[in-house]
Amino acid sequence: MSQENPNSRPQGQGRPQGRPAGTGSPRISRVDASVAGPVKFFFASALLWLLVSSVLAVITAVKLHLPGFLNGCEFFTFGRLDAIQRNVFFYGWASNALIGLNLWLLASLGRFEFRNAWIATLGGLIWNLALTVGLAFVLLDSQNPFELLELPRGVAPAFFVAFLLAALWPAVAFARRPTSHVFVSQWYILGASFVLPVVYLLAQLMVLWCPTNGVLQALVHGWFLQNFLYLWLGASALAAVYYFLPKELGTTLTGYYLSTVGFWTLFLFVGWIGPATLLGSPLPLWIQSTGIVAAVLLLIPLTITSINFFGTLSRDSGWSRAWNNTTLRFVAFGLVAYTLATLLQVVFAARSLNALVRFTAFTAGQQQLLTYAFVSMVIFGAAYFILPRLTGAFWPSAKLVHLHFWSCALAVVGSVAGSLVFGWTQGAALAAAKPFADTAHPQAALLGSACAVLFLIGHLAFAVNAFGMLTSCSSSTDEGRQA
Amino acid sequence: MNNLNLILAGVFFTVAAPFGGLLLGGYAQLGALGRAPAEEGGPLFPALEPGLAIQGRQVYLQLGCVACHTQQVRPAGQGSDIAQGWGARPSVARDYVLQPQVALGNRRVGPDLANYGARAKSDAEIAAHLSAPAAGSAMPAYAFLFSPAKDGSLQPNERGVALIAYLKSLRQDYSSPEAKLKQ
Repeated sequence: MSQENPNSRPQGQGRPQGRPAGTGSPRISRVDASVAGPVKFFFASALLWLLVSSVLAVITAVKLHLPGFLNGCEFFTFGRLDAIQRNVFFYGWASNALIGLNLWLLASLGRFEFRNAWIATLGGLIWNLALTVGLAFVLLDSQNPFELLELPRGVAPAFFVAFLLAALWPAVAFARRPTSHVFVSQWYILGASFVLPVVYLLAQLMVLWCPTNGVLQALVHGWFLQNFLYLWLGASALAAVYYFLPKELGTTLTGYYLSTVGFWTLFLFVGWIGPATLLGSPLPLWIQSTGIVAAVLLLIPLTITSINFFGTLSRDSGWSRAWNNTTLRFVAFGLVAYTLATLLQVVFAARSLNALVRFTAFTAGQQQLLTYAFVSMVIFGAAYFILPRLTGAFWPSAKLVHLHFWSCALAVVGSVAGSLVFGWTQGAALAAAKPFADTAHPQAALLGSACAVLFLIGHLAFAVNAFGMLTSCSSSTDEGRQA
Repeated sequence: MNNLNLILAGVFFTVAAPFGGLLLGGYAQLGALGRAPAEEGGPLFPALEPGLAIQGRQVYLQLGCVACHTQQVRPAGQGSDIAQGWGARPSVARDYVLQPQVALGNRRVGPDLANYGARAKSDAEIAAHLSAPAAGSAMPAYAFLFSPAKDGSLQPNERGVALIAYLKSLRQDYSSPEAKLKQ
């Protein structure tokens, strides 16, 4: 089987999976070939941004315990680099990767052959150009004081158009699907691709173009941020989980019939949880209380996804099979993180607990649990499955795959646990009326730096492997087509 | 769930409902909020900012100070902000009605600044903190906001002066109809 493929290698014991469909055939399926261009473009861009983000994360982490580090030039101020790192991570890495992943999933699930896929690539080009220009403005000029809306408002129309070009496909693919059956993943992708542009546009209008009065800006921003985190990043990653888990385990989902309820309740409640992250702020109490109620209601979709995913993993030694499958190892890790992140969201919506940890590293840990330990790990898992199918090649090095998993897993566990523990203890010390200056933990910043370096190592391992494959494959793709 | 229009309509509703309920509801309550006197006939608060402070706000935003500093004092019972001495009273929505961009912030690596102007003793003290933060502080020195004077000492340059004026203008130490100062 592997003799046909010049790039394939023998399957050794414990070799990471993710080989192309057709067990080693260099041919790439027609559906995959139709979408390969844009998906490879989005993944390659995402990877480059991920490396930039990791380097910046190391610098900002070091700056937290050595404030004088790289402090000679005003463009390296912590406040600027922190904002740039965040935007690179969310708009550069996560969004690029998820647009690509969503495109591939739609094509695969719907057996949908893309025509004019260059439109998606054009959208990707505009997206990345707009991001680069926006980041240059933050570095050299100014920024807005709202997380993920820091970029100057002028880039928003470009982002919006780019997203429409790259992600209008869900609706097209859905409307033209050859089969009448619709998969859960398709609902999630459709929902995520609809919510992001609408919410982004409204937030831009109400916060930056025609700013609303005073603290209403913070309310709109909180609403936008939770929609972005849960309904764009989260829902897109859930779509991938709904695809890969049953596919790779070769089984059906436990309680599949519940997934409709899980989908609708997630979308119904997330829009309201923004104010639960603004407790104690100068917003009216009824708004804050609404947020708390909505956050607690997230238990409903969480229960359903837990039944779907953990029920499936608990059957037929699913956990151990997942552990031995590269894609599922990342996905299962992400699922545990998603469950923990949502549980923390529910529990720490309680006023007394929220008051204790708000403004400390705790909330940063919560966000990292959702956006890295869940979303990014699922993206990694998906990449291990998809890229071989798009390139007809194997992952060049199994060792690098292991290095990638272990360094990222250790880094994110260390970083999240550190944030939660140090955030909690700082909150408790503040509540006991200790002076603020005495409550910071120098160990927290050291741990953060160590984890940032570990992240960088993992991401480098992934990037070397992925770029090795993407560059070796373009020739093999052509050979495959000519054959 | 095979109907595209039905799913899109449903998702549209899930976005529209909180938009209407939270954002438009909040807008109905606070959209027209303006300055007000604490007592009838008294001066209007929050006070208008001096022009230099408005320029200083731009420096504050440029440098991303919001990454480490919040500007909101929570009520007693929800955090220890008042016990920490960060405010004389909780922040209320009216305190922010003059701000073109509200930098409430979300993370406190450094202390809250909502009422910093009331506790900073002098321009010189703020300048000293910006040019050479105390040992152990996570804040870097902002050398580019200072230039050497003729006598060799470091003096804040134009941007530095503006930033100091802005920091001094951050005050929530007046009574407002929603939050009276306790005497």
